Amino acid sequence: MDTEANFGSTNWKLGSVCIFVLCWWLMETGTLVPSQLFTSSLALSFLGYYLYDVIDGGTGRRCSGRTRLADLKSVLIFLSFTYGLSPLLKTLTETISTDTIYAMTTFMLLGHLLFFDYGANAAIVSSGLSLNMALFASVCLASRLAGPLHTFTLITFACELFALWPLLQKKLKKQSTGCHGMLTVLFAVVVVTALAMVAPACAALAIVLLFLLSFLIPLWLVKLQLYKDNIHGPWDEAEIKDDLSGVLH
Amino acid sequence: MPHSICMVSDFFHPNAGGVESHVYQLSQCLVERGHRVVVVTHAYGDRAGIRYLTNGLRVYYLPLRPMYNQATAPTLFHSLALLRCVFIREHVTVVHAHSAFSSLAHDALFHAASFGLASIFTDHSLFGFADVSSVLTNALLRASLGGATRAICVSHTGRENTALRAAMPPGRISVIPNAVDATRFTPGPPTGNPDSTCHDRAHLPRSVDRRCAGVTVVIISRLVYRKGVDLLAGVLAQLAATRSDLNFVIGGEGPKRIVLEELREQHCLHDRVTLLGALDHRQVRDVLVGGDIFLNTSLTEAFCMAIVEAASCGLQVVSTHVGGVPEVLPPDLLTLCKPTVRDLCAGVIAAADRLLAGKAPDRATTHARVRDFYDWRDVASRTEKVSNDDSSQNDN
Repeated sequence: MDTEANFGSTNWKLGSVCIFVLCWWLMETGTLVPSQLFTSSLALSFLGYYLYDVIDGGTGRRCSGRTRLADLKSVLIFLSFTYGLSPLLKTLTETISTDTIYAMTTFMLLGHLLFFDYGANAAIVSSGLSLNMALFASVCLASRLAGPLHTFTLITFACELFALWPLLQKKLKKQSTGCHGMLTVLFAVVVVTALAMVAPACAALAIVLLFLLSFLIPLWLVKLQLYKDNIHGPWDEAEIKDDLSGVLH
Repeated sequence: MPHSICMVSDFFHPNAGGVESHVYQLSQCLVERGHRVVVVTHAYGDRAGIRYLTNGLRVYYLPLRPMYNQATAPTLFHSLALLRCVFIREHVTVVHAHSAFSSLAHDALFHAASFGLASIFTDHSLFGFADVSSVLTNALLRASLGGATRAICVSHTGRENTALRAAMPPGRISVIPNAVDATRFTPGPPTGNPDSTCHDRAHLPRSVDRRCAGVTVVIISRLVYRKGVDLLAGVLAQLAATRSDLNFVIGGEGPKRIVLEELREQHCLHDRVTLLGALDHRQVRDVLVGGDIFLNTSLTEAFCMAIVEAASCGLQVVSTHVGGVPEVLPPDLLTLCKPTVRDLCAGVIAAADRLLAGKAPDRATTHARVRDFYDWRDVASRTEKVSNDDSSQNDN
């Protein structure tokens, strides 16, 4: 059933958003040094990249025909452009008040959570919009940090977290749901622990939200199916059962 | 006992359509029977205030802005002051609201109950129960019809549907079908309306000798999904391939026109399929009499007026078996088919063969029969009975 198949999808997203904001907060307070974040995120990305190929035994790469060299080129172009533009991005929001920045970030991240493609087939889903909102939020927050290097690091981290991480996660889910389930739980634990070190109240809230999203709300959805009612009769719109693809484009 | 009836609907002249002509014709016939009738609708562009139509029919174009799909916003209270004004001024005794899509009608029903006036709701459409728009409209309908004393539906299927949707006791719902103005839809050669310009007449099909030109199938409908345009495309493709003596004339406009245009291009049917575009109601008769068979491929229909108009012009009718369509005409005048391409093609071919063999019913006889079946005066007298029952119940 859909609820089972999509178990934990929302958890990953919520966790990602929490991790992102946490990293920003740590950099803001000076606890986390940009070089530390950069090296660790790059290392994790490489690990993820390696796993991406290993998980399905190389079939994905063979099918898409994309060489490792092309990937390396994209990474280098991206990193150099971001590094080059980071002073510009740093001063982008100087004239905007901090409160506006925080409000924008909150709004954008909520939008990111709302529009993300969790696997449901609905009109509201737009993975492009969701990614754009997340990156915009990261630019907003990154511009408030101490220097261009901080900005560069945070934006790279955001790209890895919001653009690359979901790809790996989706692939993992397709390959082995058991592994995916375990990782979801592990990820949730990591997020909560990280939050607890900084703000215990946030950690408590995170636990509640994660529990709600993974268990309570899907359970409620399943229970409400009993109340679903539909009366069929001659008034129903006729369904066209013919295959008209030969006639219509 | 003469009533003072207030017809309320968002849909009225200058808009053209089924509901609009229903309200107008019913009002005129009720005026003929001696009742006092006013019509209340929302302003159409510059047309705001009070206008007068034939026989002194007063129409109140209330200064309310239409929000979506020609209907005003369902805020319930923005029309209260104006409606109260009209009800008091006209000494209204019966409020007759039309169409579930019209928010002004819902408002009027609601307010009529609070003013202690008898209220009747006429439902022109069928709704499902499962999708979001149906769920919301049904909830709205339950609220408005809580106060309505009677309801009228245009077919028995519609009655069943309304009873279930609005949770209304079926004993309070009457079935009074629409009618057709048989004097305007007569068989015979196209007259060419003196009001229409040369340009209008030029694109109507020529009145050639039908025996030489083969069989003409006429389709007149809005080109939208629920009118089965996709099915129509399939039927056209198959019929054009299998029968070379069939020609098609399609009148009407809509977002699905592109489907038919593409079909015409793909199969090179430019000489056999004519797309006339949007038709004025005055031109419909001329288009109909230029044809031999009327095809209706709707996926859902409470009561298909187009079918009655076509039968009144003497055409054979082939239609999908949906909604209230089976109740409209007897089986010898109407060929019902399942909503599949194969069945519809078979129906059209059977009708064409009947015509070519000379076994098709005579046009004048068909017209006479339809004229007897459907008459606006009959509809008005039945509506009057409902109003009488309604107000007597109200008094008690």
